[in-house]
Amino acid sequence: MTVQSLYGVAALVAGGIAYLLPFLPPWLVTIIADVVFGAILLAASMINTIVLIWYERKLLGRFMDRRGAMHVGYAGLLQNFADGLKLFRKNTYKPREADSLGFYGGPTAYMVSSLVIFGILPISTGWDNGSLPLSLLLALVIFSFAPLFIFLSAWSSNNKYSLMGGMRSAAQMIAYEVPILIAVVAVVVLSGSFDLTTIVSEQRNYWFALPLFLALIVFVAGMLAEMERIPFDLPEAEAELVEGWNTEYGGMLFAFFMLADYLRALIGSILIVLLFLGGWTLPSYVPAALTSFPLAGIFWFMVKTYLVFGVFVWVRASLPRVRTDQLLRVGWMRMVPLALVSVLIAAAVVAAHCLPVLGCVPGLGS
Amino acid sequence: MAASTEPKEGPNAAFLIVKPMATAARQFVKSLVRPSTIVYPFERLEDPSFREEVKVESGHPIGVGPIWDNYRGVHALNIATCISCNLCAFSCPDLCIEMVTVPGGDPKHPKKCPQIDYGKCSYCGFCSDACPEGCLSMTTRYELSTPNRSEMIYSPQKLHEVFERKLPMNPIRLERPENEDAIRLDAPLCIGCNACSRDCPTSCITMVDTPKPTAKPGEKLPRRIWKEPVINDSDCVRCGTCISVCPKECLFWGTHP
Amino acid sequence: MWINMGPQHPMTHGLWNLRVKIEGEIVKEIDPEMGFLHRGIEKISEDRHYNEVITLMDRTCYVAGIAWEHLYIQAAEQALHVTPPARALWIRVLCEEMQRIASHVMWYAAFVQDLGLMSPFLYGMRDRDLLLDHFQSFTGGRLTYEYMRVGGVRNDLPPGTTDRMRKTLDWLMDRFVEYDRLCMGSEIFRKRCDDLGVLKANDCIAYGVTGPMLRSAGVRRDLRKDRPYAIYDQVDFDMAIADSADVTGRYLVRMEEMRQSVRILRQVVDWLDKHPGPVMAPNLPRWLGAPYAPVGREGYLLKRNYPKGVGLSAIEEPHGEANAYVVNEGGEHPYRVKFRSPVYVNLSAAHKYLVGYHVADIPPIMGSVDVCVGEVDR
Repeated sequence: MTVQSLYGVAALVAGGIAYLLPFLPPWLVTIIADVVFGAILLAASMINTIVLIWYERKLLGRFMDRRGAMHVGYAGLLQNFADGLKLFRKNTYKPREADSLGFYGGPTAYMVSSLVIFGILPISTGWDNGSLPLSLLLALVIFSFAPLFIFLSAWSSNNKYSLMGGMRSAAQMIAYEVPILIAVVAVVVLSGSFDLTTIVSEQRNYWFALPLFLALIVFVAGMLAEMERIPFDLPEAEAELVEGWNTEYGGMLFAFFMLADYLRALIGSILIVLLFLGGWTLPSYVPAALTSFPLAGIFWFMVKTYLVFGVFVWVRASLPRVRTDQLLRVGWMRMVPLALVSVLIAAAVVAAHCLPVLGCVPGLGS
Repeated sequence: MAASTEPKEGPNAAFLIVKPMATAARQFVKSLVRPSTIVYPFERLEDPSFREEVKVESGHPIGVGPIWDNYRGVHALNIATCISCNLCAFSCPDLCIEMVTVPGGDPKHPKKCPQIDYGKCSYCGFCSDACPEGCLSMTTRYELSTPNRSEMIYSPQKLHEVFERKLPMNPIRLERPENEDAIRLDAPLCIGCNACSRDCPTSCITMVDTPKPTAKPGEKLPRRIWKEPVINDSDCVRCGTCISVCPKECLFWGTHP
Repeated sequence: MWINMGPQHPMTHGLWNLRVKIEGEIVKEIDPEMGFLHRGIEKISEDRHYNEVITLMDRTCYVAGIAWEHLYIQAAEQALHVTPPARALWIRVLCEEMQRIASHVMWYAAFVQDLGLMSPFLYGMRDRDLLLDHFQSFTGGRLTYEYMRVGGVRNDLPPGTTDRMRKTLDWLMDRFVEYDRLCMGSEIFRKRCDDLGVLKANDCIAYGVTGPMLRSAGVRRDLRKDRPYAIYDQVDFDMAIADSADVTGRYLVRMEEMRQSVRILRQVVDWLDKHPGPVMAPNLPRWLGAPYAPVGREGYLLKRNYPKGVGLSAIEEPHGEANAYVVNEGGEHPYRVKFRSPVYVNLSAAHKYLVGYHVADIPPIMGSVDVCVGEVDR
């Protein structure tokens, strides 16, 4: 038996346990398989997140004419684990007037809501963690929980900087949800499905980035705002708001925010790869040798994801932060119309498929 | 005559962010080869590999070569040549130099050498400029961190250890002006007490006999020892010790003879 | 809502407090509060020998130390009736212009960092370090130089300095182009900085604002041109003027000043190559000529006959016009030392250029003022 999928691995482990302990009822074995699956997902996402932080530190270092972390582990690969250990050992301090539920619940919910999305995202054909018909919509819905939790933790910190950061965060995320969703509509129009697996398989002939370049720009800008990265990191603008909404947090709670931020950055990159850059597939005209080795799907997927994140780092290294009013103005007055135009383009491409003349253009026929 | 301050690099309206991103990317490619930083505890600016090169042209501004030696760091003290003249302690603006006794002097006149409190020192270099024998000078050593404050006080022996490491020392020394002021004697005030000669660190003061005048009738000779200091000007380091120990204020700074 | 920006806040480059009253994101009222870094430098100077005050000058303004040495030394020489030799004057100008570039590069790094752009901070620090290397090569210090003395400078330049300097200047000119690409070439930067923190010419004059802030408002005032000190009347350079009176204008003025400083430096190293000579005035009194002053009881007698005097000097420091006033009443210490800090005056006009803008605009505006708290509080 060859293990085709991640869930297959989990089922194999659960099967092994069931073989050793034959008295277990079948429903318990199913639950064990689910738990193992979740644990693997959790480990994979956390390791990726930490490697992502390392990757950003190294890239940013070279952009700034320095080296980045380099002493703990090979090329500083273990530096983030050391940092995490240090944060873990630190005392968690709560301001006296802070609201306990919001102060502790906010970061936790923020972290959990970011982690949940990993259960939905397909990574490659084998990574079929349940092919949901509306997985794209579900992922975006969970992704947009974040402003609520950020605002919750900001408000309950009882700090003026935190409150301002939380306000900015809420305003900015809500403003950029709209163009993101409209840009996604363009993708949905073109692929005809809300299922991420289907969207990827629809890109076997050409990546959606080509016809929907405008939507890609809107989506990338929106994702930058959602991830709160420079140039859109006003909620944590350290120049005026110390650390914005996580000013009062230290120790492991801060580590939660930090990890969740990078989790969301990873999710954003993955969504861009899935929606616009063909996911784990390469265009059909590349040599088969590139796609036929074992785990080729995951390999190409990770390469694309990290390249997309590299672009985010590049932007961070070369652009200053924008101001709140400018950000909102760009969001509502530039991004929304651009997104609408890209929906029109998607519709036109779909319509072109119906025309007999264009239908025979190679790459456009589906 | 005003220079034009028009922006030399305007933003290109069509490509809003292309120029800065291209600049950052160029820097990225450059620093992939070798970033401008050095890995400090493992590489040092004073390493021989950095000393000889002026890396300006290559785009890596690391060090300016052998002139690193001018750096004013921790002092090195050669106890053997120190003459206990006290000039370093006199010249210190922060009063961080204290003259402490070191073994080796004769019991009557114990040898005193500077002890430096680096918690106070401002590294101005006045002490090494003032040192007439060149035995106190500043080295390129700059690492002083220590977990407790008392270790910031460097005894003469510790400073001598720094000296024995033969670190590069500041090669630029001040030259004494040719017509430097000299110690002069106001002879009628002198009582021949020998204090200046006794305390002179360079032993350049010798007491010579002065003829005792014969008292005229009715005149009373001053009560004094009939000796007078003679200063060997070429050996004098102008430390002023004789002036400060003179009980009668008969020594003073005067113009060069 | 009043919020405190400082004394421990990322916006304040140093130890001072800006209290801001905001409504939403708009600044309604501000209240700058200084004095956290007061070390009593003027008072301590009254207890130091004339040359020992120099160690304090480097610490007065920690980004433009040697400019403040120059300022003090000019006043002290005037008070003590000492004339330095010509080569010392040229070396002092060399130092001051190097310091101007170093200070402006440091300003650029911090200012752009306030806008959230991180890499130029590292670029600026890297390029400043090259100048600090040069400073170290002849003064021995990288930040606290202790180089100038009453009557000249401590030592001559080591051989090869001028050649190395020329290479560095060429390299720096290329870097200035890079700086401009990162800032002026960026649409976001222009959107952030244009029409921000406007302080018009008449307000500048009314508040006594000087330096790049004044020149960015279109006022032609530069002490190096208007009242040339040292040898500034013998070098050829232009005054950098902008007329927008906003943050962009200040940026452009400082960038152009760095180019003009490079131009001055090129002339200065050419002159220094051709004119060797002494760097210290001859026949100084003993208590002045040496860096140390071992004065016994005798010292007072000696100086009793020394002529009294008053020194007043004004230089165009990187931040603006700085003045120094030194009174020589005959003792071995100055009787009175007083400084005018340009940044203190520029800060006191803060409510003119902060009120009405966004909270997010405070860091770039304050960054464009180029605050050095050491010199504000002294």
